[in-house]
Amino acid sequence: MNYVFAVAVLAFALSTSAFAQQGQAQQGQQGQQPQQGRGQGGGGGRGQRGPAAPAAPTPRRPDGKPWIGSAAGQKPGRWNGGPTTLPQGILEKVPFQPWARAVYDQRQIDQFEPHTRCKASGVSRQFSTPYGTEFVDMEKDLKRIYILDMGGPNSYRIIYMDGREHPKDFTPTNYGHSVGHWEGDTLVVETVGLNEKFWMDTRGTPHTDKLKFTERFTRTDMNTLQYQATIDDPGTYTAPWTTGVFTMRWAANVDPFEYICQDNNHGPELMLGSQTEIDNTKFFVP
Amino acid sequence: MESGVNVQMDANGLLKNISDADKVAPMQKWARDLYEYRQRNFLKDDPMYLACKPPGGPRQFEQTYGFQFVENPDFNRVLVLLGGGNRNRRVIYTDGREQVGQINGDADNPLYYGRAVAHWEGDTWVIDIKGFNEKFWFDNGGLPHTDQLHLIEKFTRTDMKTMKYEVTIDDPGAYTRKWTSSWTFEWIPNEETPFFLCQDNRP
Repeated sequence: MNYVFAVAVLAFALSTSAFAQQGQAQQGQQGQQPQQGRGQGGGGGRGQRGPAAPAAPTPRRPDGKPWIGSAAGQKPGRWNGGPTTLPQGILEKVPFQPWARAVYDQRQIDQFEPHTRCKASGVSRQFSTPYGTEFVDMEKDLKRIYILDMGGPNSYRIIYMDGREHPKDFTPTNYGHSVGHWEGDTLVVETVGLNEKFWMDTRGTPHTDKLKFTERFTRTDMNTLQYQATIDDPGTYTAPWTTGVFTMRWAANVDPFEYICQDNNHGPELMLGSQTEIDNTKFFVP
Repeated sequence: MESGVNVQMDANGLLKNISDADKVAPMQKWARDLYEYRQRNFLKDDPMYLACKPPGGPRQFEQTYGFQFVENPDFNRVLVLLGGGNRNRRVIYTDGREQVGQINGDADNPLYYGRAVAHWEGDTWVIDIKGFNEKFWFDNGGLPHTDQLHLIEKFTRTDMKTMKYEVTIDDPGAYTRKWTSSWTFEWIPNEETPFFLCQDNRP
């Protein structure tokens, strides 16, 4: 059994490291194609391949702001290709505290990511599954925008657009508490109340529950969503820092589909479900 | 359990008297035996508890943390945001589509939550769901089903605080006839679905 598991982990490590090299080669402003070789069994929703055709202009709501997802009355669509590693291209400039750099370096080796155990993974990690994310813009009716993840936990994040403040007594969660506002054509989302049970990206850039994560989404044309994040976490970094600009690509006319991580995860022995019955005698350290 | 049946069970669906197993629903012999086996084992094989598999079918409405319907008329659909299981979301379509798989999506794979389409009959919202897989329990108590499971769910909001729920279970693979179960939901105002992840109780 252990042998089978080791093979599974090795295959997983190989697929991610191969992709990481590809990601390093792309650097900077390049958009990233969805990963292949991970998240088996869901299929579909891939981004565009090869050079993008000339894109239509940014679709706009009646109030003039961009549609961050599909325009009302159109078919749903989703964004593919979020950041794989937030420090991409600027790793040596990231103001890690020493412990955090050591953790980051260790995670490049063990890649023991909570996401592979079906943990809901918040902020930028939500965009880094192979199947993309759908923004459901309900600002007009409900003063909020939902972000549906396709891979991972098959769950959702709420961005409140009603001007509310973060609650004072919020129990930290995997997705935290997100509030958004518009700065011109850019949707700015600030998230706090994040716990430490997930990685912010697939490469394990560390954080603590002191994290304030600010995301800037700018739809520059029909097919392009620029994404930039500012990480303010005095528990992990000596100063706030801002990532490069990542580019997500539009996949038109795709419905959200059912992907159940618990059927497709890469670390089955780490899940209680691989056992034949409930066993409360073992102590697991997450 | 079937409407009209008076059988004592706890909130987990566990029968007080195992001899009541026959009364719960019109199960075929194999299904009845499997149901009794699951009950006798105190539901220890439950995929939701074992491995956080989704609570498909009516079971998603039997969970402690409730659920939200988010009407999304821009796309002719309703999102269901679930408080139980692993905080899953799913979609009910109101655009008159067929209950078939999606190209480049989930194909025609059988699903935990099935393929749901809905329409209105007066004040009652009627959901038709089929295309289920067999990897989950559709009820806390472990009632069996097959991939022939076909559900008709009826939601009727009778006042601000009350929604009546009625589900008809049509599964010729596991039951001897169609049968119906019903209960009511209470509206909780001004509250999001609590953030609960089954997977948090796992390594």
